[in-house]
Amino acid sequence: MSDKSRIIKEWVNSYSDRMYSWALHRTNNREVAEDLVQDTFIAAIQSFEKFEGKSEPQTWLLGILNNKIAGYYRKQYRNPVISAGSAGSDGENDFLNTFFNSNGEWQLHERPSAWTDDTANLLDDAAFTTELQKCMDRLPSNWLAAVRLKYLEAQKAETICQELGVAPTNYWQMLHRAKLQLRKCLEVHWFKK
Amino acid sequence: MKKIAHLIMLSCRKATELIEKQFVAKLSLKERVQLNLHKSICDACTAYENQSRLLNDLLQKQASITPDQITEQENEALKANLLKQLPLD
Repeated sequence: MSDKSRIIKEWVNSYSDRMYSWALHRTNNREVAEDLVQDTFIAAIQSFEKFEGKSEPQTWLLGILNNKIAGYYRKQYRNPVISAGSAGSDGENDFLNTFFNSNGEWQLHERPSAWTDDTANLLDDAAFTTELQKCMDRLPSNWLAAVRLKYLEAQKAETICQELGVAPTNYWQMLHRAKLQLRKCLEVHWFKK
Repeated sequence: MKKIAHLIMLSCRKATELIEKQFVAKLSLKERVQLNLHKSICDACTAYENQSRLLNDLLQKQASITPDQITEQENEALKANLLKQLPLD
């Protein structure tokens, strides 16, 4: 075994746990996290000569991993997988038309009214977090990417727009649609039971 | 009357758009005035904004909940698989 292979093997043994748990935290998907860690090590093997030991191996590997995660979101954003029961990409207007009439007023049965449930400790309720997760999974993948970057990673809007290569206007319009759908999904499956 | 109202008033569609926009960008003075005027007479959009803020809060907190614990076994399997897949000589 070459020195390079021996070192990479050591890295796998020392750092892959933390990398996997980081990737899982950021993507919330085991298969994706596993793929990203694997891609990271492949990239590390390819650019091993550039490493030169200037930083800690862990820092270097996490840097590559973060690039892979950003790339994953970009891809999700550009090639949306439209999940069942959500708006299609050419159904953008249809989607908004289910909520608003041609004058832009709320459709009668879609008008929000206050939720009466106690919302203070919702996230302690496992049944609720499951519903929330299910509702998020129903979003088209590009909307979900926008929501995840904003709320789960607390990134600044400018950073997200840069990362996704999207104009600010498109970005908040997408959040608008995603929030409309999430709100409705939670109302149907939780708040107005 | 309704028509005149529409000239100065936002539609609910536009109002909810601005409600979401304010969470990611700064609204212009005109947008802020329009939105506040709209909310002052529209219960539905006021409810929407409250619920949207609640959603922001829930999503943010949901993020701090780590996914299920990764088991020792899972980590071992991951390592074994990595070493098998990687082009190491």
